[in-house]
Amino acid sequence: MKLEQTKPGGSRNSSMLSQLSKEKWTYDTAAHLAARAGFGESPSRLEQWSQQGMEATIQQLLRPDNDTTPPPSSLVPDQFAELREQVRDAHSPDEKMQARRALRQATNRQLYDLINWWTRRMLTTPAPLVEKMTLFWHGHFATSALKVRSPYKLWQQNETFRHYALGNFGTLTKAISRDPAMMVYLDLQASRSQHPNENFARELMELFTLGEGNYSEPDIKESARAFTGYRVDRSEEFRFVGNQFDGGAKTFLQQTGNWNGDQIIDIILKQPAAAKFISNKLWKFFAYEDADSQLIDKLAELFRQNYEIRPLLETIFSSEEFYSPRARDAIVKSPVQYVVQSGRTLGVNLPGGRTLFTVYQRMGQVPFYPPNVKGWEGGKSWINTATLTFRYQLARQLVLGIRLVNEQPAKTPLPSPTTQSSPLAQASPAVQTTPMTQTASLTAQNVVRLPALQVDQLVTAKDRKDPEAAVRKIYARAFQTTPNPQLFDRILDVAKLKPLPLADDAIRDLVALMMMTPNYQVC
Amino acid sequence: MSQEPDLLTRRHFLRTSILGAALSWTVPIFIERTFSLLNAEAAETTTQIATGKDHPILVVLQLAGGNDGLNALVPFADDLYYRARPTINIPRDNVLRLDGYVGFNPRMASLKNLFDQGKLAVIQGVGYPNPNRSHFRSTEIWQTASDADKYLKTGWIGRYFDNCCNGEDPTVGVTIGSQLPQTFTAEKNTGIAMTPGGRLGFGKEADASEQQVFNELNGITQDHDLSSGASIGSLDGPSEPKLSAIEYLQRTALDAQVGTDKIGAILKRTKPEAVYPKTPLGNELSLIARLISGGLPTRVYYTSQGGYDTHNAQENSHNNLLGQLADALSAFSTDLTSKGIWDRVLVMTFSEFGRRVAENASKGTDHGTAAPMFICGGNVKPGLYGNHPSLGTLDQGDLIHAVDFRNVYSTVLNRWMKAPASKILGRDFNALSFV
Repeated sequence: MKLEQTKPGGSRNSSMLSQLSKEKWTYDTAAHLAARAGFGESPSRLEQWSQQGMEATIQQLLRPDNDTTPPPSSLVPDQFAELREQVRDAHSPDEKMQARRALRQATNRQLYDLINWWTRRMLTTPAPLVEKMTLFWHGHFATSALKVRSPYKLWQQNETFRHYALGNFGTLTKAISRDPAMMVYLDLQASRSQHPNENFARELMELFTLGEGNYSEPDIKESARAFTGYRVDRSEEFRFVGNQFDGGAKTFLQQTGNWNGDQIIDIILKQPAAAKFISNKLWKFFAYEDADSQLIDKLAELFRQNYEIRPLLETIFSSEEFYSPRARDAIVKSPVQYVVQSGRTLGVNLPGGRTLFTVYQRMGQVPFYPPNVKGWEGGKSWINTATLTFRYQLARQLVLGIRLVNEQPAKTPLPSPTTQSSPLAQASPAVQTTPMTQTASLTAQNVVRLPALQVDQLVTAKDRKDPEAAVRKIYARAFQTTPNPQLFDRILDVAKLKPLPLADDAIRDLVALMMMTPNYQVC
Repeated sequence: MSQEPDLLTRRHFLRTSILGAALSWTVPIFIERTFSLLNAEAAETTTQIATGKDHPILVVLQLAGGNDGLNALVPFADDLYYRARPTINIPRDNVLRLDGYVGFNPRMASLKNLFDQGKLAVIQGVGYPNPNRSHFRSTEIWQTASDADKYLKTGWIGRYFDNCCNGEDPTVGVTIGSQLPQTFTAEKNTGIAMTPGGRLGFGKEADASEQQVFNELNGITQDHDLSSGASIGSLDGPSEPKLSAIEYLQRTALDAQVGTDKIGAILKRTKPEAVYPKTPLGNELSLIARLISGGLPTRVYYTSQGGYDTHNAQENSHNNLLGQLADALSAFSTDLTSKGIWDRVLVMTFSEFGRRVAENASKGTDHGTAAPMFICGGNVKPGLYGNHPSLGTLDQGDLIHAVDFRNVYSTVLNRWMKAPASKILGRDFNALSFV
């Protein structure tokens, strides 16, 4: 015993990252991985994963089939140029205000479509880990549409996250330093050699790579000089303007040279703090909060070799600790996780357009609208009295078919070469745009209700005659685990009060009840 | 009221209400729902006001992003100001003068009126030693009232709750917004985030047994009743790290039910008595005024106005923010004055830092240090406090603070809230005399 304790690397923490043994790989571990590395899966897929083993499953996640979701083709560079000209050329304050409103509305419509497009993609993707990591990088290199106001730039950035999602962190960081959306968001495109703007340089170190306390104020000022000359051109592409670049000597993290931006990033990545910072954030995102520092050190040691993301994730997902009791049910689902997983596993119909935006907004996470450059705090901060109440209200709406205002198609076509209606609306079978007759007297013809949850995809005719079988089927989808007896029995008690065979609405009540539990909010 | 996230209401509201015209799509929907509820019921209800002698109330207003103090409280008599800011200065003739050296940005005329009426104190050059220029770290320092090199888990208002607010009422502190500020993080007793939209429940069609199961699953049981003084958990993640995610969710569900029941009842019988600007901040202060007048036992309200991180082309955006701030505060003052409770309320603004003295190349300003705080209320001792920091003697291009923000907190705690400031702040900070 004593010998073992003094042996380097022989501590409890290296064993924490040791691989999960084959006999411990079960349906439940497969389901745990499915929710964390993606957005949940159907019971039959989970059965298949548990049969094929952990290694094959992780490889499938790390090297998935191509996602054939078409791009949002309504987005093109500089597509609001005409509307902006109208603002500029307005003859009266009134005209200017109207032109501004038209520009704002056109931009918002495209942003709603972009949010919808990504949501559908996460919903149907054969590459869930790629989308999950795209979401992670979006929260990490947070950039908000509130300031950027260009759906095209934000989509391009989203594709950059996706392209490098499982690739190399250094390459990704350099790509983001040249990313037009980020450059607008952190004022990099306005940074000149005579007056470098410090905003990007500061956040690069504080939030993107090193963490607060691992650099000095002079380091910020010096490195800001290295990121001068970065510009976004009219076609919304990156361009380097040499005569705005400060090519002089800079002393950064104790090293002096005529550094450019990429070299600054290389110097940053040589700091042990960088590997630790990212490893810790990924462990927190996928496993649990407040990990032992030794565990993070181990991960960081691996990551620092080459900053490749795939092997780091492989180590995390293969580790015994990732499947330990401490990690189970430890993560509060983010609003995006809640929405996408509900669609993917229970088959509820998701709204699009402004309604989807509002749903995300009230839950506290709108894709493309992080609250600030730090991204979303996550964890328990997703839940407070306001957001939890809304989640419970939303659960019932999603199951019954959310009621929404039928958004009229744009009156004036957007100045875009592709003038057909947006393909986003048809991107997924789950999108329903057909108006249904509204019985309530709520004013209007423009109120529609999405179809209620199709219960036949959850239970068979035979299940409807057997409450226990029905609850078991729904439970497996909602909670993605074998039943917790206490929770299962309580729901079964409710099911037993319903007349047999269970009617559609009775099944829907049971689904909603499961969604309105603390257990459904975690994964 | 409806149990559903009624998306029709929003559209209806935008078309019909007095606030509708200028509301942009960014306004938090719960605010709109509050006002649509108000519209529906205002006709038949009368405002009830909880009168006078109750406890003092603090409203904390965060100016998020780092307010450029030098363009809000302008040192118009100092040539160094005009030299450091050749393109984004406030011209001398436009400044609303408070004394021979400083004055307000012209967009703050309504705040100047409050100053002239003797309802506003301005603390100049507030900051702290070894200032941090990170938004997040500096906000944390202000919210936890720590030294720049110390990390505290609880917020300064959270520690006030822990020390001074016995009982377990979750509405002791109310945040307008969907995120709880770290200011409220407490060991035991924290506030709630405002949610007037609906109450927690299984739904109106649910029968009694389903409601009971729902309650059990969510840890809501009969003995968790307000009057029994049952335990109320904290709502902010870091404050109770020992709670598992599930336990934390159960507690939040309970708080939501208790809080929304009470707030819903108050909103049914109150209405604004001033015309508020049609801005998010205007809506939020109007809501706070109603909750105060409706007798919610809340000691501290918290809300924030964002957008102050003005690195780029700041002139219009910063002036607009200041105008919105001043107009909303002025309406709040009018509203509470006519409700007869302005004397019980103190509003305190803060921002994580001011901005660099010299403008940058993008006609904006980068992160800096000290900035003014605005304190208003019916019982404020008006005037300018603290010396304005020198524009000649700078530290790395930034102002050197004249007043530690914890002296301001200490004043608010000791003299206004009648709370043991040194216990809450960890040591003695001399009080100022603005209350």
